[in-house]
Amino acid sequence: MTIRHSFLNWISARFPIREFTKKHLTGYYAPRNFNFWYYFGFFSLLVLFNQIITGIWLAMEYTPVSDSAFASIQHIMRDVRYGWLLRLMHTTGASAFFIVIYLHMYRALIYGSYKKPRELLWLIGMLIYMTLLLEAFTGYVLPWGQMSYWGAAVITSLASAIPIIGKFIVVWLRGDFTVSTVTLHRFFSLHVIAVPLILFVLVFLHLVALHYVGSNNPDGIDIKEKKDAHGHPLDGIPFHPYYTVKDLMGAVVFLIIFSIVLFFAPKMGGYFLEPDNDIPANALQTPSHIAPVWYMTPFYAILRAIPNKFLGLIAMASAIAFMFVLPWLDRSKVRSIRYKGIYSKIAIAVFVVSFIGLGYLGLQPVSPLHSTLAQLFTTGYFLFFLTMPFYTAYEKDKPIPDRVTP
Amino acid sequence: MEKEEDVIDIARRCFLRRATTVVGGVGIAAAAVPFVSYWLPSVDTEALAAPVTVNISTLQPTQQLTVPWRGQPIWIIRRTEEMLATLPQLTAQLRDPDSLEDQQPLYAKNIHRSIKPEYYIAIGVCTHLGCIPNYRPDVGGISPDWLGGFYCPCHGSRYDLAGRVYKGVPAPLNLKIPRHMYLNDQEIVIGQDQEGVEGT
Amino acid sequence: MKKYFIFVLLFLMQGMVFAEDNIALEKVKINLRDKQSIARGAKFFAANCMACHTLIYLRYNKVARDAGITYEKMPIHVTAWPFGITPPDLSLTANSRGVDWIYTYLHSFYVDPQRPTGFNNLLIPNTAMSGILVVYQGRQVLATDLKNSRLVFGRQLQWYDELELQSSGTMTPQEFDATITDVVNFLAYAAEPYHNERVRIGYWVIGFLFILFVLTYFLKKEYWKDIF
Repeated sequence: MTIRHSFLNWISARFPIREFTKKHLTGYYAPRNFNFWYYFGFFSLLVLFNQIITGIWLAMEYTPVSDSAFASIQHIMRDVRYGWLLRLMHTTGASAFFIVIYLHMYRALIYGSYKKPRELLWLIGMLIYMTLLLEAFTGYVLPWGQMSYWGAAVITSLASAIPIIGKFIVVWLRGDFTVSTVTLHRFFSLHVIAVPLILFVLVFLHLVALHYVGSNNPDGIDIKEKKDAHGHPLDGIPFHPYYTVKDLMGAVVFLIIFSIVLFFAPKMGGYFLEPDNDIPANALQTPSHIAPVWYMTPFYAILRAIPNKFLGLIAMASAIAFMFVLPWLDRSKVRSIRYKGIYSKIAIAVFVVSFIGLGYLGLQPVSPLHSTLAQLFTTGYFLFFLTMPFYTAYEKDKPIPDRVTP
Repeated sequence: MEKEEDVIDIARRCFLRRATTVVGGVGIAAAAVPFVSYWLPSVDTEALAAPVTVNISTLQPTQQLTVPWRGQPIWIIRRTEEMLATLPQLTAQLRDPDSLEDQQPLYAKNIHRSIKPEYYIAIGVCTHLGCIPNYRPDVGGISPDWLGGFYCPCHGSRYDLAGRVYKGVPAPLNLKIPRHMYLNDQEIVIGQDQEGVEGT
Repeated sequence: MKKYFIFVLLFLMQGMVFAEDNIALEKVKINLRDKQSIARGAKFFAANCMACHTLIYLRYNKVARDAGITYEKMPIHVTAWPFGITPPDLSLTANSRGVDWIYTYLHSFYVDPQRPTGFNNLLIPNTAMSGILVVYQGRQVLATDLKNSRLVFGRQLQWYDELELQSSGTMTPQEFDATITDVVNFLAYAAEPYHNERVRIGYWVIGFLFILFVLTYFLKKEYWKDIF
């Protein structure tokens, strides 16, 4: 017996690696018709890994104190060997994370991956999304540039819209009467330890929930309904080696695109690395436009579209709340957009256009035209959810296929 | 649809798997380089640890000058002829009288353990557990036969005026001599000599 | 339908609103591969700008130090500045304001007797910065006759539309342009000293990934023969 073989035997007698491999890799049957949209779950894990490892390294040289935070970032970029590379990997990764997550969520939307029995999977995914937004927000404050400081000031001040206790909550969040080194330091702890731990737990639960019911597929049909003599789904293939090898190939393509951005356009025209953040934070000077980073702008646009501060906050919160209840709004008898009626297709188009439109508008300065458009897109966004119980129940679906279509 | 295709398949798969693993391994090794290099001293750390230039023009005979460098005390002592004369007398009492252990650069591998006999440059850290020894040039100070040297108060280690360690004390080695060189008669550079900078 | 059309038209036209500075920024061609240009720019900076402007994040930068820009010589601990305004540190200005802005700003000084420094600037009205470049560029004044300017519909006013040279300095306009390009080149380098290395490594990484892609592609195709 080889050394490797006997080593594995020793471990196997004490740890369920063989059972795990069987249950979750070689014996875990996934639909054979996964397409392009199914890469993004794995890509999110890749990006998470990137953020963790570059984050750990960055935390070795960063100082979370307002007097030296900005300078420590420059120290990393200029004086630490390859510091610039690790920092740029981290900033590119942050934006990449949201691109990947939005595409991952879109897949769920079009193929009905949130529908029974995957409602909990979707809810955990939504919690991951919220946690990710918190992680991104706390992380963005750390360089302590103008955008870091003023973004923190604006977003923490949103809490003041809460009736009665709002103003107290703001001071409690900040730890000071204004955004200061106290705020920075606690955001550092949240960003580096607390929120990543929550993220790990949620990602783990997400994968557990997924493996328990099995993956959905582009046709939205249940592959477990038709099994062969061995009890394996006829339209299923073992995750390992087929999807491990396919994901590996996809990962390389992803890394190529990621590297093109990282090495040739890390600032991405000022959207991934904002010019105002290369100015040290100045409490006495507000930048001309304060806008959140691009991945938060759809919600920011909704907030701004409503003239009333409290109602704007409610609208922004509902925009996210509606996403949570999506599984119960969709009353269609089919899962996948491929077999839903015409109204679902129009609705998704309206939703995507509204979401992207809101995202774009959130980046622009306020103007009457922009306000009108933002209100239009906000309406489109909410209509997608509000009318869904009706059009999904009453539209004419196409007959779903017996077996998966490639 | 199996047939002979199967056999060729396995070999091809094996090759592709191996090739991908090797190339992937190269990639991972290359990707590790920035993470490992990141831990090297940064440019500002190196600047802070750069060699220092010391002016010795005002140093009087028997006087000790202590210069901090890289977190350690560097001693510069101007020895007199009497002090140097004590060195050959102590050979039998020393652990390493000829400086055979690697505690000094080549140019300090002599009886006075320095470039010029008059000026002694050493790292003032006891080779036992790292305390800073006291400079005791006073003859008869530590014991009746004490000819002058260094005495470590922590555990009683003793060194002569060239930093050579006595037998029968806890310290195992002679005091360490850093790289150094003379820019001219008044200036010494600590931490660098013709060969290069210490620690790089 | 017409409403949508108007929306779209208005939407597109908002790009034609003039920039906040009222004038357009002249585009400068920087080349971070041109080491001599960067060195010249650094020397000019050391001689003309370092009396007031710091570059604190270039403390350990070799290119800066070679040109004579050292931490000891920077006005870091000066507290009493004219008008109480501290000249900004310029380490990252090429990022925060952009190279075109710096280039245009340095060209846009003009004589203004009402200012304490005697000079004003088109991009920062009532700037506290002195006319230190006037000796090179020459004295400029606001153009009196904008009606004859080269304003064409769709093209915004440039600094040279609004200013005219009253008396020459020690450099011709071309020499001044070249010198300021060097300075801007240096400031662009100063904001991102790792730029060239970043691009160089990028080619290697992407080249390697393509090779890896070819391998993983065939690996995938080979295994997936089982499925079909």
